[in-house]
Amino acid sequence: MKTLLARTVIIVLFFLVCLSMPAFALDSREQKKASLLVTEINKTKDSAKLHALFNELGELYFNNNDFDGFLTALSSVGGGDNKGLALWNDYYTALARYRQLKYLEDNQLWEEYFANQNSWRTQITGSIAKVLEGTTTADPLRILSRLLLWRFYQDQQDPARELQLSGLMAETEEYAAGNAADIGLIKTAADELSSYNEKGNARQLYKIYVAKIVAPGEESGKIKKAALGFYSQGNLDLAEAVYDAYIERIAQAQGAAAAPELIEIARQFSYGDNRPNDPLYAEKVFARIEELGGKEALDEKLMYLRAFNLEKGKDFLAAKDRYRDFVASFPDNPENDEAQYKLGIITTYIMRDISGGRGYFTKLSDSDKVSPQVISAIYQLGLLAQWEGKNEEARRYYLALKDKAGDGFRETVALANERIAELDGSRPIEYNLKTFIDVSLRPQDVQSDRTKFELNCHPYRSPRNQDVNISSSYYYGDNGCLQPEFQYLWSGHLGAYHDVSNDSSTAPDSRGLTKPDTSQSAFTTQYIHNGSKEVNLVIVSASGVVDRNLDIVDVYDSPGTP
Amino acid sequence: MLEVRLKGFRSRKVFLLAASCLALCFFIVGMASRPKPAVWVKKFKGSRYELMAAGKPYVVKGVCYNPIPIGKGQDYDWWSDPNKPWLTDGRLMQEMGVNTVRIYKAGNNPGSVKKVISDMYNIYGIRTVMGHWLGFWEYPCPLYGGKEFQERVKKEVLDMVRLYKDEPGVLMWILGNENNYSCFGQVNPWSTDEIDKETDPAKQNLMRARVYYSFVNELAAEIHKIDPNHPVALGNGELLGLEVARDVSPDIDVVACIIYRGKGFGNIFNSLKSIFDRPILISEFGADSYDAYLGKEDQNMQAFFLQAQWRQIYQNLATTKGGAGNCIGGAMFEWADEWWKHNEYDADGWSRHDAESNWSNPSYYFDIKAANNKNMNEEWFGIVALSKEDESGLDRRIPRKAYYLVREFWKNPVLTDPPRKK
Repeated sequence: MKTLLARTVIIVLFFLVCLSMPAFALDSREQKKASLLVTEINKTKDSAKLHALFNELGELYFNNNDFDGFLTALSSVGGGDNKGLALWNDYYTALARYRQLKYLEDNQLWEEYFANQNSWRTQITGSIAKVLEGTTTADPLRILSRLLLWRFYQDQQDPARELQLSGLMAETEEYAAGNAADIGLIKTAADELSSYNEKGNARQLYKIYVAKIVAPGEESGKIKKAALGFYSQGNLDLAEAVYDAYIERIAQAQGAAAAPELIEIARQFSYGDNRPNDPLYAEKVFARIEELGGKEALDEKLMYLRAFNLEKGKDFLAAKDRYRDFVASFPDNPENDEAQYKLGIITTYIMRDISGGRGYFTKLSDSDKVSPQVISAIYQLGLLAQWEGKNEEARRYYLALKDKAGDGFRETVALANERIAELDGSRPIEYNLKTFIDVSLRPQDVQSDRTKFELNCHPYRSPRNQDVNISSSYYYGDNGCLQPEFQYLWSGHLGAYHDVSNDSSTAPDSRGLTKPDTSQSAFTTQYIHNGSKEVNLVIVSASGVVDRNLDIVDVYDSPGTP
Repeated sequence: MLEVRLKGFRSRKVFLLAASCLALCFFIVGMASRPKPAVWVKKFKGSRYELMAAGKPYVVKGVCYNPIPIGKGQDYDWWSDPNKPWLTDGRLMQEMGVNTVRIYKAGNNPGSVKKVISDMYNIYGIRTVMGHWLGFWEYPCPLYGGKEFQERVKKEVLDMVRLYKDEPGVLMWILGNENNYSCFGQVNPWSTDEIDKETDPAKQNLMRARVYYSFVNELAAEIHKIDPNHPVALGNGELLGLEVARDVSPDIDVVACIIYRGKGFGNIFNSLKSIFDRPILISEFGADSYDAYLGKEDQNMQAFFLQAQWRQIYQNLATTKGGAGNCIGGAMFEWADEWWKHNEYDADGWSRHDAESNWSNPSYYFDIKAANNKNMNEEWFGIVALSKEDESGLDRRIPRKAYYLVREFWKNPVLTDPPRKK
């Protein structure tokens, strides 16, 4: 029995060790497949087929991180006077070494990395040089080689990368202008450029690729399907380029009748917390719908969605215009309070128009309804009055708020109580909040224009009592080792926050809430009641205010998109 | 009569021509025989530059040097340390191939400073780059627009030059370090009444930069008068502000940049050519050897970054084809760990090798997932670690992996040339 147990333990340990080891050599089935592929490669003359076979062979080994095994397999490829095959061999030799170096670096397998890096780099450039010598721009292999060479220098941040990039672009365009044997290669190049954040160059190649696939005789249905496919892959740049072509085609063919299809596309790209979206592209489509079918082409839900999209795309001024149209056109819509409140916030703090903003808040506060936005609007009226030194007026607003809120809206009531305590104690408005209002409304702070750092929330539409991540990002630029120290002055509706840096909840303060401290550029919070929650941030450095920004989270009973 | 006049005219013309030729010969001979400065910058076509020392091309293979022992703070006068740390360090540096040490500020005792410079040079062949902070870390902030402040700093700088200019081991002077950031309000902010009157913050920044770089140029011009034998470098954080320096700092010979961009330097070499056409010395760069994410020392990570950085420096030397050709070398930060750096005010901490990070830099990506993304460990930048174990009165020096890898790179700098255009 003991022996059996010991054997079982040994076998289990053996399997555990095997599992924990990085994959390496191919198993017998894979080896058999590899040798069949090599045989087939040696027999094949067709370039496109060779590419596919080499790729299949490569992936077999690369998936097992068996780069040396792949190179051994390559040694059985070619021979004789098949120059074309030899060039493919050179390319894949370079690719294998490139991936091997990356693998070693990513996994910090330094001994092997340090021992081989120089010779492998030389092998990469040497092999690619041979391919470039033996090919023309009509040859797909040359484009693949250019792409690999650029990635190689790009990864190393080598000065040669700029030259290689312009070479890649020029030759890919030349390739596309000719009888491109494999147009998918243009997309491959664009995808790679996009993954390296070379968005402009990627878009340029996507445009060329789209022009190739959207040939005049191509069926519209196929184009739409292709666009949807790219969207589903998360490749929004390409999806948008294909949709552009599709939209133009159906708009020309159908005119206003194309509106329903365009609405579908606009919805697809509209803001969503957990799916690919591009609110500004959605707006472009909305504008086209309006162009085709007039304002009436958009119903109240779509008008709200359009405004909401612009808000999430941070185009607050355009969002304000759309919310205003929505409020004017559909005064009884359930989203009206939200739109009114956002109009107040945008007008006051983004446009620096205190009286205009107050108008929207007043309209809400005068309402007989009791909604989260009505309560928040009264708070804003009190706050603005307090900031202007009209303390008794402010107190009246806060008391009215408490009266109207009853036992609900605890978060906003807590803020009102805090303000009342300040009035009672003849104290100024809490520092963070006052600083935010100062730099948002004082004429001398007009340079605080919300451009120096980003403020984002996720999700933007959250159910109650669920985590919302709020983060700011300031681009430091390259600044040596002297990183400016910032203070983050958070204010507004911050919910019941907990510290994301150590992921431990902190005890609520006397208001039943907590607040991120000035060292935190991000935090996670939860909201306990519905409404539109404005989050304010001012970043301060040793030399003063860097900038201010605000964002809005919408809290609902249940999650969903508008 | 006419003939006589013509003859006279001709003979005068011949005489003038002969005199001109003679003068030209004297000028050419004079130029040729005029001794070159001990250290100077040679310019080639295409804004490529090479540093020349003792008549030979000189690639700066440098380290930033500030050997504060364990348990001591930044004010420790290591120059006067009876155990002479520079002798132990110099030997190790020589074995590695280091030819230059960069000093941020000379010690207070000129005799000790001279001794260090001459020992380094005479025993190990290592030259010294002498620096000055230009009052950057003074309290309150440096008032670069104030005459009194300027005069005091100028006196300090020129005194330094007068004291050490004749030391054969001196390579060049570096004025400031990352002082330019103060012009842009990022650190140690300062202003003047005139700047305060300007309401546009962007214009204020440019005004400050103009004041600062004009002052540095004034210092450079004065140094050249006293010491024609050594170049003057402008210490600058990244390239920030150099478009202003181009207009107001003609007397600067070299731009000495402080760069922390992970495994490379980006487009800095070519960018500098278009912004301020001067040779570039990467006067401070490097990587720490502590993985803030895993909470342990990682010498390989540091070695990886340093080797990649040196490769880029070499790719941009004047002698390397394909690169920018304006780089004259670099000085790694730094030779040995400094245990006081995490908190300079906590004397107890000076004996502790602190692993808490103070700043974040995503370019050093291996440990960027550390808490709050703080991955840079200020006390772990040495390519030589210190041990509390005593060795001849000094903390024992333990070369890290970077020491050996950079040594091998210097012996055999393998670069990857792009394939020639077909």
